[in-house]
Amino acid sequence: MNIKAHAAVRLDNGFGDTVYHERPGSGGPILAIDNLNLWYGAAQALHGVQMSVEKGLVTALIGPSGCGKSTLLRCFNRMNDLIDGLKITGGIKLHGEDIYDRGADVIALRKRMGMVFQKPNPFPMSIYDNVVYPLRVAGVNDKTQLDETCERALKSAALWNEAKDRLDHSALGLSGGQQQRLCIARAIAADPEVLLMDEPCSALDPIATAKIEDLINDLAGHYTVVIVTHNMQQAARVSDNTAFMYLGRLIEYGDTEVVFQTPKSPKTQDYVTGRFG
Amino acid sequence: MTSTMPDTTAAAPTPKSPGRRTDLRSRGEPALWGLGGALAIGVTMILGFLALVLANGIATFIPKPITVVTEIGGTVTAGEPFRSEVFKPTPDVIAALSPEWQARIDAADGFARRTLYRVGNFDLYGEDFRWIPDYAVATFAQPKSLMFVERMEWGPFVGTVKGFKLDGADQIFTGLDDPKFAKIHDESRARAREIRTIERSRISDINHTLESARLELRKIEMQSGRSSSAYAAAEAGLTSRSTALQREYDTLAAEVQKLREANATNTLTLADIGGREKLIEFSALVRLYPANDMNFVQKLRVYFLRWGEFLTGEPREANTEGGVFPAIFGTAAMTLLMVIVVAPFGVITALYLREYAKQGRLVSFVRISVNNLAGVPSIVYGVFGLGFFAYVLGGSIDALFYPERLPNPTFGTGGLLWSALTLALLTVPVVIVATEEALAAVPRSMREGSLASGASKWQTIRYIVLPRAMPGIMTGVILAMARGAGEVAPLMLVGVVKLAPELPIDGIFPFVHLERSFMHLGFHIFDVGFQSRNAEAGKPMVFVTTVLLIGLVTIINATAIIMRNRLKKRFAGSQF
Repeated sequence: MNIKAHAAVRLDNGFGDTVYHERPGSGGPILAIDNLNLWYGAAQALHGVQMSVEKGLVTALIGPSGCGKSTLLRCFNRMNDLIDGLKITGGIKLHGEDIYDRGADVIALRKRMGMVFQKPNPFPMSIYDNVVYPLRVAGVNDKTQLDETCERALKSAALWNEAKDRLDHSALGLSGGQQQRLCIARAIAADPEVLLMDEPCSALDPIATAKIEDLINDLAGHYTVVIVTHNMQQAARVSDNTAFMYLGRLIEYGDTEVVFQTPKSPKTQDYVTGRFG
Repeated sequence: MTSTMPDTTAAAPTPKSPGRRTDLRSRGEPALWGLGGALAIGVTMILGFLALVLANGIATFIPKPITVVTEIGGTVTAGEPFRSEVFKPTPDVIAALSPEWQARIDAADGFARRTLYRVGNFDLYGEDFRWIPDYAVATFAQPKSLMFVERMEWGPFVGTVKGFKLDGADQIFTGLDDPKFAKIHDESRARAREIRTIERSRISDINHTLESARLELRKIEMQSGRSSSAYAAAEAGLTSRSTALQREYDTLAAEVQKLREANATNTLTLADIGGREKLIEFSALVRLYPANDMNFVQKLRVYFLRWGEFLTGEPREANTEGGVFPAIFGTAAMTLLMVIVVAPFGVITALYLREYAKQGRLVSFVRISVNNLAGVPSIVYGVFGLGFFAYVLGGSIDALFYPERLPNPTFGTGGLLWSALTLALLTVPVVIVATEEALAAVPRSMREGSLASGASKWQTIRYIVLPRAMPGIMTGVILAMARGAGEVAPLMLVGVVKLAPELPIDGIFPFVHLERSFMHLGFHIFDVGFQSRNAEAGKPMVFVTTVLLIGLVTIINATAIIMRNRLKKRFAGSQF
C-alpha cells in the first residue's frame, strides 16, 4: 500500500493536526480543497478543510450529524450558493481551476458534477424525460442522441431491464430504490467527471441499498465518486478513501482500510469503534 | 366514602381515579360542536340563499292563471295574483265596511289581507299592478276565454280576443288553433324580423361606411389642410360615394316601408275585462295563451319558449322584459378578457417576488401592499379605472390614433377593455397570493435536482417549478375569475351601460371592438330591480337574471376547474 506523505495542517481549538494517509488514484487528484472555511451567517460550518479527491476512486465522507460533510459535498458543485448569508474563504480547484472564481460558470460546473440526493427526487415526468433532462437543458434535442444516452445511463444505473418497457410512464410510479437509481442515471446522463452522492441510501431499504452499493462499485473507475454516508459499514464497503470529519474539521483522511481498522487519530478511533457519534 | 377516611375529605372533591373518562374539556368535543355548528350555519345560509334565488328564478316563467275579481262596488279587475300581504287599513276605511268585516279586522288586531294583481294593460290603465284588499272582494272567477298577451310594447295585455284582420279583411276568431291565425302571426313576425335585419345590419352598414368615409376625409383635412388637392379629391369622392349610399339607403327604406304597410293590415283586436278595445299589429305580438285553459304540456311549452327568449333575445321595455343575451355575452367577454390580462400579469409578479427578488424588507412591504390591495373598496378601482385607463390612457390613444374622431371619444371613455383592465387590477392580488403560495410549495429537492442537473434558474422555473405550481396558480385564477365575474360597482364607471346597441364582437372590421361599452348581468340586476319604471314588474327578472349570473359564474369556474384537473394529471404524469 502506497501511503502518501502529506504536509500536516494545524487545526485550532486543540483538534490537533489532520492526519493524511490517502491512497492516490491512477489519475492524480481531481479536486483540490485548499483551506476551505464556510459560514452560514455567523455560524462557521467548515474550518480550514484541506484535502484532495483522487480521480477514479470512491471517497467517503463520514462523521457525526452536523459535522459538515454534506456542506463540504455541496461546496463541490456550489449547491450552497442557494443559501442566503453564505460566506466562503479558501478555494476548491477542479483540474486546477478555482470553481469559486468570480468568472466561473456555475452551470457548466454542475454539468461536470452529477449529484444524487438523500431522498430520491425524480421530476414529475416520464422516466425517459427524467434521464435526459440534463441533456435537454443543455440544449440537446437530437432524438437519437437522447435515446442512446437514456439507454446508456439506465444501463449504468442498473435500471434498464426494469424500466425499458415503460420509459414513457411517470417516474413517480417507481419504487423508492428504483427512483434513486433513476436519479443516479440522471446524474450520470450528462457524463460528469465527478459523481456526488449525499447519503444516497438513507431513505432506502437494505435490498435497495445493496443494489446502490453494487452500482457504486461498478461506477468507480469510470467516475470519481464522493459519497457522504452515515453508515460506516457502507463507507467501508464501497470507498477507497475515507475522510472523517468532526465539528467542521477534517480529522483524518486516508485509506479506508486504515481508517476503519487502525485509525491514526484518537477521535477517529472513538468514532469508528462506536464510542460516540 | 369509607368510614376510615378522615372527615375533612368529605367536603373536598372526589379525586379522579385513573380509570375515569378523560375530562370533556381536554377531549375537545365542545370545540368540535362549535366548529361543526359554525360550518352548518354557513352552509345553511348559502343553501338558503341559493334555494330562494333558484325557486324564484325558476318559477318566474311559469304561466300563471288569471283571476277576475269583482269588487263590492262593482269594479271588475282581471290579473295574475302576484303576491299578498297583511296591512293596516285606516280607521275611516274600516268604518265604511260591513260589520262582519269590521269584526274580522278587529279580531286580527286591525290588520287585513290584500293581494297584488298583475293587471297589465299599461296603455289603458296607466298601471301594471293593482292592490285589492280581501274585504273589497265580492266574487272570484277564472273564465277560460281570458288571454295573457305578451306584446313588444306596453307590457302584457290581459283580456279577450275580439277578432283579427288578415290583409285588411275582418276574420272571426275561433281559437288559437285556427291555422290562419298562426300563419298571420308567423308571417308578421317574420316581416318584423326582416325589418330589424335591414335596419340593424344593412342600414347600419351604410351608416358605418358613410361614417368611415367622413372620418377618412377629416383625416386628410387634418394632414394636408382644407385647401390641398388631396382634400378636394377626397371630398369629391365622398360626395359621389354618399350619393350612391343615399340611393341604397332609399331603396332599403322603401323596402322597410313596404313591410311595415303589410304588417299594418294584419291586426288583432283585443278587449280588456271592462270591454275597452285595443288594436295591435300581429308583428307586435310575442305570444298569447289562454291562461285558465291550458294543460300541462301547453304550460311547459310557454315556459320553455319564455326561457328561450330570455337567453337568446334582446331586452325590451326598459330591460324588464325580453332577453338578456347582450348581457350574457358582455359578462362572458369581459371576464375572459380580464383573465387573459390578469393571469400572466399576476403570475409574472409572483414569480419575481418569490423566485428572483432578494427577500427583505422591501419585498415584505410590497407583499403586504399587494395583500392590502384586495381590501380596497371596488368602487375606488372604478374611479381609478375611469380616471387613469379611460381618461389618461384612452385619451392619449384617441389623440394618437383617432384624432379625426375627436371630440367624440373612441377609447377615451368607458369600454370593454378598460373594464377588463380595471377588474384585472382588482383581482390581481388574488392571483399573486395564490401563485406565491403555489411556488413556495414546490419542494426544494425538485429545484436542487434540476439545478444539480446543470439547469439554469430560468430552466428550473420553466420545466420544474411552474408545472408543479400550475394547479395552485389555476386555483388563484379561478378565484379571481369568480370575483371578477360578479363585480358590478367599478364597472358602472368604466364601461357598463343599461342598454348597449351593439355587441363588442360583431361582423364589422376589426370584429372585436374593445372600446365599446357593453351590458353586464350584474348591472342588469341592479338596473331592472332598482332603476326601472316599475320595480314590481322587474322583480321576477331580478331573480331570473341572478340565477343566470350564478349559473354563468358556475360554468366558467367549472370549466377552469376541469382544465386545472387535466393539467394536474398531465403534470403529475409525463411531459417536458
